[in-house]
Amino acid sequence: MFPLRRFRVEDDSMRPELATGDYVLVNRWAYRFRPPAKGDIVVVRDPETPDRFLVKRISDVPDAGQIRLAGDNANRSRDSRTFGPIDLREIVGKVWIRLR
Amino acid sequence: MSLLYLLARWLDRISPAPIAYAHCDIPCGIYDPHHAQLAAHTVVRMVDLINQLEKPGTGATPEQRQEYTNKLARYVATKEQHSEIAKNELRILWADYFKPEHLKTFPELHDLVWKALKTGSKARQEINLQAAEDLLKATNDIASIFWKTKGFETITAKAPYPTERLTIYPKFK
Repeated sequence: MFPLRRFRVEDDSMRPELATGDYVLVNRWAYRFRPPAKGDIVVVRDPETPDRFLVKRISDVPDAGQIRLAGDNANRSRDSRTFGPIDLREIVGKVWIRLR
Repeated sequence: MSLLYLLARWLDRISPAPIAYAHCDIPCGIYDPHHAQLAAHTVVRMVDLINQLEKPGTGATPEQRQEYTNKLARYVATKEQHSEIAKNELRILWADYFKPEHLKTFPELHDLVWKALKTGSKARQEINLQAAEDLLKATNDIASIFWKTKGFETITAKAPYPTERLTIYPKFK
């Protein structure tokens, strides 16, 4: 599996870090050698709509198997405050670089 | 705009990048095509009522004429309002709810909404049962797409209103 995957960003919950129209390159191998850490920006499968992806920041790592997510733009974000912590397996990868 | 960005955009032509949503629920989230359907039913009903209204003949008294004019004015005013409500509700669905991903699955959506808005104007301007029926049909077609994007099947049933026209309802699980 090729480690890099590109996504296009939509919506506002990660402003100003990420904005609609940005591309992100995601490293799918990032968590093979180290666990996810608070502050990482990750692309995950949306727990409420399985065939789509969300891009959010890890706000907490409550235990080894789970992470909590938050949008930087907290009053405009649907994240772990709504859908709770999510499984590590749902992570696609860590955002490596942003292209704008 | 960086060179890599242009490269990523160029790659989109070959194979579009999947979308990662930095999703927000404000202001989005609460949508339902039922408002538009309901308003279209009202328009149909008003045209029916106008057509059923007995026109005052040459021998009508001033009171009869006044009553006729009053009723007609009220039906027309309601028809005006509700065709505008239907149009506005469709615009909201179109601009705020539907996303490019929906359009990929339902490429006819833009055309459907555009024609629905035109039909809404016609239903508003004229006393035209066909235009009112067309408006209702358009709101049903859009409702059908809406519920599919939400993952619900739909049923077509006679509405429990005096209009009794066929209407699309979601089949909630």
